[in-house]
Amino acid sequence: MTSIRRDILIGIICLALAAALPLAMPGRYVITQSTLFFIWAIVVVQWNLVLGIGGIFSLAQMALFATGAYATAMLGFYWKVPMLAAIPMAGVVAVAVGMLIGLACLRLRGPYVALLTLAIAQVMYVLIVNDTDCFTTVGGCMPLFGGVRGIGQFGDIGLRALFPSKWYVAHYYAGLALLAVAVTISIVVIRGPLGLAFRALRDNPDYAMSRGISRFKYQLWIFAVSAFFTGIAGGFYAIHFRVVGPTVFSFSTLLFLIAMIVIGGLGSIWGPLLGAAVLMLADEGMRELSDYRNIGLGLLLAVFVIAWPNGLNGWLQRSRTSRN
Amino acid sequence: MDVVIQIIASGLTLGAMYAVATIGLSLVYGSLNMLNMAHGAILTLGGYICYAAIVHAGLNPALALLAAALVCALVGLLIYFCAALPLLRAENFETNIFIATIGIGSVIENLMLKGFGPYPIPQPLAAGGQVVICNVHIPLQNVFILGVAIVLMVAVAILLQRTSTGRAIRATSMNREAAQLMGVRVGRVYAQVLALSGALAAVSGIMISSIATLTPVMGGDPMLKAFIVCVVAGLGNVYGAVIAAIALGLLEAATQYVLGVRWSFATLLLLVILVLIWRPYGLFGKQQVVRL
Repeated sequence: MTSIRRDILIGIICLALAAALPLAMPGRYVITQSTLFFIWAIVVVQWNLVLGIGGIFSLAQMALFATGAYATAMLGFYWKVPMLAAIPMAGVVAVAVGMLIGLACLRLRGPYVALLTLAIAQVMYVLIVNDTDCFTTVGGCMPLFGGVRGIGQFGDIGLRALFPSKWYVAHYYAGLALLAVAVTISIVVIRGPLGLAFRALRDNPDYAMSRGISRFKYQLWIFAVSAFFTGIAGGFYAIHFRVVGPTVFSFSTLLFLIAMIVIGGLGSIWGPLLGAAVLMLADEGMRELSDYRNIGLGLLLAVFVIAWPNGLNGWLQRSRTSRN
Repeated sequence: MDVVIQIIASGLTLGAMYAVATIGLSLVYGSLNMLNMAHGAILTLGGYICYAAIVHAGLNPALALLAAALVCALVGLLIYFCAALPLLRAENFETNIFIATIGIGSVIENLMLKGFGPYPIPQPLAAGGQVVICNVHIPLQNVFILGVAIVLMVAVAILLQRTSTGRAIRATSMNREAAQLMGVRVGRVYAQVLALSGALAAVSGIMISSIATLTPVMGGDPMLKAFIVCVVAGLGNVYGAVIAAIALGLLEAATQYVLGVRWSFATLLLLVILVLIWRPYGLFGKQQVVRL
């Protein structure tokens, strides 16, 4: 079985299982948590493109997610753009921001990229939180980006109106559809010529460049591709929670997501999804011990990087090859 | 004139604190190529240990400072033996250690949150009183911080320049393989550097908390600033880092006065972004040319 066929098979099985979940477990809590899982999985799958396939150590993914969420909310709040149009527009805004970040990182190497992207995310957070001047006074004083309280009341995609009692199930399927598209894109990128170019640039940049692979072009491509769906996931997050605040920049979210990628397996196709699923379940399991959540996450992250740097995916692959 | 003195006084204090926090980071990056994301947590831990030693154990302040430095040096050693040593044997050390230290930092930070609670605590190791220069009142605490920082920097400079340990550290950061071939025990150098960096972080944590307050998350901000200083100076360049730290401290004090406190951090970060785009290897860093 070729690897692409295997990917399609795994994808279809996962999709079928996920589509059947609301029938098997109709509880509202399970459904909303799964929707949140879809949102994080989209971000993680796209982040993996930059981090794992591109080998670019960018920590800006949550900033791009926030860009998408804020763009959606602000388009709806200030210009009354319908949400169905605002979310793709937010994706485009995220692409623009992502390409700018990609440009800024172009001449940098490894750890400098991490620090620069962390600094960019921090600037955005500080600017949003520290802005207390009123931009509009409609319905109380509100700064341009909503300040500490964030932005609310920017409209809806209409699923709540369409399915008044079952809107969360509708959101579940919407999230699942977005995730399916995001994963498909990621498979196409990883298995296709783009992915080959990214991996070549990651593994031996000088040799790849001497064979005519333009680092400039491909680095911008990878930032643009991964920013688009991350921005859309941000928009969907905004709709789902009906409010966007500076908490999306929080360090514990960043830790949570990076742990998903590392535990699942950096640079693999299904690893990040697996990691996201495992961590969401583990998070549910640790709900009773919520005080210890970040301690547990930090320990898991460190132990996995040190002991199993290829994550669960690498472990699965090793056990499969040893069986054959 | 008074304003200028005020800005210089607070800028130098800030710069001195950043410099002490930065030296450790820069040494570690220089010799191991390791960005220690747990630095902020270690720095905070230093502040809390000092607090606990004075308030709960009743030690005198000098001993408390020593205890904090010792505990944080041990944490540095622990990071070496538990994280850096195994990761050095595998591929992708730079990325992996970065992620691993994010995890370790989160563990330390949340343990402090459990142990000491989320509420700000004043640092007991602080001097009262003030000195007056041309109508400007400067707290004695700031003068002490500046003094301790200068003593520490001179000590580190002597260690690096005049002792065989320092020579081994410098040799390792210049060329790891060559140093190893010349008989430098690189593993020992790494352990020494991480312990030294932990101790320096503890002292800077005590300094920072004596001006502000102790909270479990207070390390994040100084750590980001220390990284900024490192990056502006060129990662691993220790002397450049001291100059950049003081320059950045002065700049921060000036922007705080001109633009107000809430914009100063954003201005600093924007400046760093521009520096990195203009000079990707930092102001004092040399561009590395790799031949195939």
